[in-house]
Parts: sequence; C-alpha cells; structure tokens
Amino acid sequence: MIELKDVTVRYPNGVVGLDGVDLEIPDGQFVVVVGLSGAGKSTLIRTINGLVPVTSGTLTVDGRDVSGASKRELRAIRSKIGMIFQSFNLVKRTSVMNNVIMGQLHHIPGWRALLGAWTKDEKEKGYQALERVGIVEKTWTRASELSGGQQQRVAIARALAQDPSVMLADEPVASLDPPTAQMVMKDLQRINRELGITTLVNLHFLDLARAYGDRVIGMRDGKVVFDGTGAEADDAVFEKIYGRSLTADDTLSSNA
Amino acid sequence: MTSSTTASARPATPRPTEPSKTKETLVWLGLLVLFGGAVVLSNARWSQITGIFTDGWRYLQLMGQGLFQNPFSEPYSEYWSLAFDRMLESVYMAWVGTLLGAILSIPLGFLAARNVAGPVTVQITRIVLNAIRAVPELVFAIILMLPIFGFGPVAGAVALGVGAIGTLGKLTAEALEGIDPGPVEAAKASGAGRFSILRWAYWSQVLPEVIAFWLYRFEINIRASAVLGVIGAGGIGSLLGQLFSRREWEQIGITLVVIIIVTIAVDSVSGAIRHRIIAGSGQKVTTEEKAEAAV
Amino acid sequence: MTATPATSPATASAPERPQKPKPSLTVIAGLVLAAAFTWWAAKEIEFSLRDLFTNFTNGWVVIEQFLSPNWSFIWRVWEAWVETIAISIIATCVGVLFGLIFAFMASRVTNRSGWLYRATKIFLSIVRSLPDIAYVLIFVALVGVGALAGILALIIFNIGIAAKLTAETIDAVDRGPLEAADAAGAGTAARSRWAVMPQILPNFLSYCLYIFELNIRSSVVIGIAGGGGIGQVLNVQFSRFEYENVAAITVAIFVVVLLIDQLSQYLRRRFV
Repeated sequence: MIELKDVTVRYPNGVVGLDGVDLEIPDGQFVVVVGLSGAGKSTLIRTINGLVPVTSGTLTVDGRDVSGASKRELRAIRSKIGMIFQSFNLVKRTSVMNNVIMGQLHHIPGWRALLGAWTKDEKEKGYQALERVGIVEKTWTRASELSGGQQQRVAIARALAQDPSVMLADEPVASLDPPTAQMVMKDLQRINRELGITTLVNLHFLDLARAYGDRVIGMRDGKVVFDGTGAEADDAVFEKIYGRSLTADDTLSSNA
Repeated sequence: MTSSTTASARPATPRPTEPSKTKETLVWLGLLVLFGGAVVLSNARWSQITGIFTDGWRYLQLMGQGLFQNPFSEPYSEYWSLAFDRMLESVYMAWVGTLLGAILSIPLGFLAARNVAGPVTVQITRIVLNAIRAVPELVFAIILMLPIFGFGPVAGAVALGVGAIGTLGKLTAEALEGIDPGPVEAAKASGAGRFSILRWAYWSQVLPEVIAFWLYRFEINIRASAVLGVIGAGGIGSLLGQLFSRREWEQIGITLVVIIIVTIAVDSVSGAIRHRIIAGSGQKVTTEEKAEAAV
Repeated sequence: MTATPATSPATASAPERPQKPKPSLTVIAGLVLAAAFTWWAAKEIEFSLRDLFTNFTNGWVVIEQFLSPNWSFIWRVWEAWVETIAISIIATCVGVLFGLIFAFMASRVTNRSGWLYRATKIFLSIVRSLPDIAYVLIFVALVGVGALAGILALIIFNIGIAAKLTAETIDAVDRGPLEAADAAGAGTAARSRWAVMPQILPNFLSYCLYIFELNIRSSVVIGIAGGGGIGQVLNVQFSRFEYENVAAITVAIFVVVLLIDQLSQYLRRRFV
C-alpha cells in the first residue's frame, strides 16, 4: 500500500511540484494519473520511489517510510519498486540481458556487478521477465538494435526482474505509435492482473486512461483535483482537470 | 501474443543460447600476455619500487619542512624568489616560442588547406607539418638550436616555436577547411583580389578558433619548456635539474609548489580567454578536444 | 501581427546610418596587454634571431652530420626499443585504469559526493600542472635510474590525461540509464559500471590508444632524465656528440610514432 499524507514537494528553484497531496493506493490497484504537463504527475511518480525528495509530509510504501529514509534504506525501498520511463532509458550499447539484469543490481555483490559475472539464477530471472513481455528471442541482441516498442518491453522486463511490489510508469507510451502504445498498455495491465503488482501510470491520453485505469487520478498545479473510477471520468471531468476544452490531441485513437 | 492467464501456459518461445564469450576472453588474455611480457621485457628493477615508500616518505617530509618555513626568512625567501624567477623565465620562453610558431604556422596553414591551395601543395605542406609534429621539441633544441644560439632560453623559445608549427599549422588548415563558403563566394563575386579574399573571407572566419589554439599551445609549451630547461635552455627546468642532482629536497618542494601555482594560474587565465573567444564564435567542440586529436 | 506604426514609413525612407561599431574595449585592452607582455618576455629572455644568421655555420656542421644517419645503429640498440615499447604498454595499462577510476570520481554524473568531487578535481589539476620531466626526476630520485622510474613517471602523467578526457566524456553521457539504475536501487559502483561504462567505452578505448601514442613520443623526454628506454640511448649518444647515431634514432622514432599513429587511427575507427 502506498500512502501519501499532506505531501509537498518544492524544487530547489522554487517550483512547487506537489502541493499537500493526500492519497491512499491499495495493493494491486491499476491507477492512471492524468493532467497537463507540469501538473505534477511526473513529480508524483518520482516522489514515490524517492527520485524526488519530499519537502514536507509523510510518504510510505508498504509501511516503509520513503520521506525520511537514509540513502541506503532508499536503495532498498527502490529495489522493490519497478520504474518505466518515456524514453525507455536502456543502455543501448549493451545486450538486452545486461539491461534486464540492471534491475537486480541492488542484490548483486559489488565485485560480481563490476565483472558482469551473473549467476544462473540472475540470468534465469532475466529470461523469465523477458518471457513475460514476450521478447525472449532478443535476449542477446544489443538494445540499440530494437524498435521503440521492443525497447519499452525490455524496460518493463528490467522492472519485472526486480520482483517489484509496485510498478511506476512515467508516460510509458508517449514515444510510441498508437498500436504499439496499446500493446504496451496491455502488457502493463496483464502484469498487474497476473502478478498483483500495484501499478501507477502517467498518461495524457484520456481514452487510454479510461480504458485501463481501475482508478483515475487527475492532477492540476500539484494538487489532486479528481479521484475516481475510469467510468466516472467523463469528458466534463477531463475538461475540469485540463482547465480547457478537449482537443483531438488528447486521445490516442484520433492520433492514429 | 495470446493473453493467457498464467505465464507458464503461454506457448514457449525457445530461449536463444547465450553467445560465446570466447572472443572476449581471448582479447583479455591477449592483453594480459602483452602486459606480462612488457613487465618482463621492460628491464625494470621492480624490487626497487619499495624506494617509494621508504625514501618517498622521508623526502616528502623534507619537502614539507622547506614549505612550512617562514618564506620571508633566509634562505627560504631566496628559494621562493629564485623559483618564481625561473618559472617566469619558462613562461616567457613559452610565450615567445608560441608566438614565433604561431606566426610561422599561418602561411603553412593556408598552404595545407584543401580549399585554399592546390592538391600538390597541400600534400607537400602536410608532409612537412606531420614531420615537424613527429619530432619532439627536445630534438629540435639539441640539433638545431643549441649549436646556433648556445645554452639559454632563446634556444628554448626557438625550439618550442619550431615544434609548435606542426600542430598549429594542421589545426589552422582544418579550421580553414571548415569555414562557411558563402562569404568566399560573395567576395569572389564582387571581384575581390586573391589576397583580400584570404584576409577577409577566410582569415576573419577562423581567427577566434586559431587564437584559441595558440593559447592552448602556450599552455602546453609551458610544460614543454621545463624539459628543454633540463638540457640547458634555462628556466624552471634547469633549476629542477640542478636541484635534483644535488638532492636539495627542501628547495625542490618549494620549486614544485611554485610550478603548480604558476601553471594553474596561467592555465585558468588562458582557459578563460579561450572559452570566451570560442563562446563568441558559437563553436561547440572545445579547443582541447580538437587540439588533443591533432597532437 | 501588430500593425506598423504610422510614423515608421517616414523614417524608413531616410534611415539613420549606423555608426561603425567601436572595437570593444576589452579586445583593445587584450591586444595592448598581449603586445606589452610579448615585448617584456622577449626582453627578459634577451630574444634575438641575430645568432641564427651569424652562427648558422655552427648549426650546419651538426645538421650535416645529422643528414648522414648511421642506420645500422637502430638495430644495434633493439633492446632499448623493446624497453621503450614495454614501458609505454605498462604505463598505459596502469595509467588508464587509475585514470578511469579518477574520472568517475571527477564527474558530477557519477560522483554524488560534493566534497569528494571537488577534492578529486583539485588533485587532478595539480597532477596535470607538473611537467612530465618533473615526475621522471622525482622517481629517478626514489627508485634509481632505469625503466622503473620511467614507468612510474608516465603512470602519474597518464592518470592526469586519462582522467581529464574521460571525465569530460562522462559529463556528456545520456542520463536516462542512470535514472533507471537509481530507480532500481543500484549502488554507486554498479551504476557507474552498467549505466555509464558501456556509453563511454568507445571513447575511452580511443583515449587509451592516444595515451599509448603519447607515451612513445615521451620516450625521448623520459630518457633524458634517466627513465630508461630509447630516450636514454639517445641521451648518451648526444652527450658523446654522435649525431649520426642520434639522427638514425630520431628518424626511427619518427617512423615508429607514425606507424603507431596509423595503427591506432585504424583501431579507433573500429571502436567508434
């Protein structure tokens, strides 16, 4: 369970990323966070795994305090939280397997990590993660040789190899074409259903948000302005979240 | 992809076999053999490496003693002022030498640029520049300069100058080849003479970059002048040579600190000027990167 | 689109001619300063090219000897050649290894500790400010004349260059993989190894070759101060005024440097 109590995040340059956010996300939920860019949805995701430090308030993940954690504790917490990025963030000059094993680096002793001497178990975990996203045939290919959709699936496998209890995804489909975007969203949903991993996804396409979100959270100016089911989130709600009337750019299907 | 409920139920894609690491292992083994061979063939008396820990500590203490004496008391005040004098002499030597090399490298740079001179001229000039680049300044100094100028900083300056021609000529040529051809065509179209095209269309475009190279070369030449000093060209190198042969550790410590202070000071002033000049001309690649690639 | 003010056509017909911009004060001051410094420097070292014309015959005697190289001497000192290559290989391997570690410490991308970053930067700029000859002199004093002193001096020298070049490359890597490694809870060393190292590897290998080239070039300097190798042979021949031998070795060094240059350029093209 993820719990935010009156969490505020202020960046060093004075910009307020989150403004007194209260949230409770139970285990296994598939949550979609929507909002304009700069509304704080990326900050919300990055605060949960401590990439962005909390200025005030408390944040706990599975009962562990993120807001006051030491660097060492923070690394341990992060190792249980998988993360997926808009630009995939793979190391392009190395194999898919090495990229997936990066998800396990927290548990691999330093000298083996330096040498790249992975054990059978670690590779097995890598294979299983790749099988789950259906890209196992590319295990030993260089990441740079994969298409965008394939790279994002490798990135999901990297997160899965962490054995996470929470999965965060920051605009995971923004750099992908519509059919690939649908596939990646289905992968995320399937993983959420099969493994019961709590999933938080940032999206700006409202049709995707409605289709996949058990719960939709709308953000504006660092505040939660809507919190409900996908069905409740009709156009009027989105117009309120976005603070403007909807355009064709706000749906994925019209972008196809 | 079928969306079955469990991972195990989906049709299994065969796992690809891990590529063999033989090639990688062989490369590492090769490097290891190369390194081991070098260790044996270098004729180094490895057992003497203990000298670093025994003598090293003692000498370090002596150097420290020299450094922490009141620098205004005799003889330490003299050590400091001598070191500064000689270091400045090295800086002067490097400056004059660099300027000499810079002036001589201008015509050669033009002759080595493909968009200025004909292919034969370019080839010949490039061979000359490459030959100069390959010969260390030290060799110029001993062969050409010392018999003519005698021992002293003038020989050093001229040797540094001749040595700088190779690199500076090459960098100037490369800068000229990278210019925007627009102004050249404009000047030609307006019927400008050959010399004024070179001066106004070519030279003014590359000037900031070329000056940055000169300054970078000056920084390098300060270090190079120390080497020339050891063989008698004066400056800080001569002082170092004498001090080490007499094992004057207190004074060596002071001299090394002076070298560090003056070099870092000159580097940061020169570097700041270079960055300003280059920033003004909108270049992206740093002088260092280009210059290192051309050494 | 804003409408043009009604007054503008009137002034546009007779635009004021812009003044020729005055050359900026800093540029003038800089030029004056440079000229003054040149004059002062030339005066201090008593710079004059007169000797070049009056004493050229002195030089010519040497040059004549130099133009008849004693080729057979090159092979007679083959052991010194092997020594020079061996010194360069050892110094390159050890120097770039330590240089790499220092580079990771000298970039804010990989070093998250502010004070360690600054301390490394200061240490490296001190290391780089001393000329190679100073290191040779120091190590000759510590371990005696011979190849070992040369190796140690070059190692220190190489650390400075390798660390600087590599640290600049690290500064420019794609931060995405680092963020991913952080999000997975990877430690500092592991994230440097797997999120940064693959990105900088081609550049790093090319720096290794460049440093090996530099080491071969430096062999002359190393030898002058007693650091072993072909430079030491050169030094001995110099002090005996055997310029035919010196010429042969100089030409040979030239050829070796050129060959290694070509080889490393070929290898570099394959890496990048």
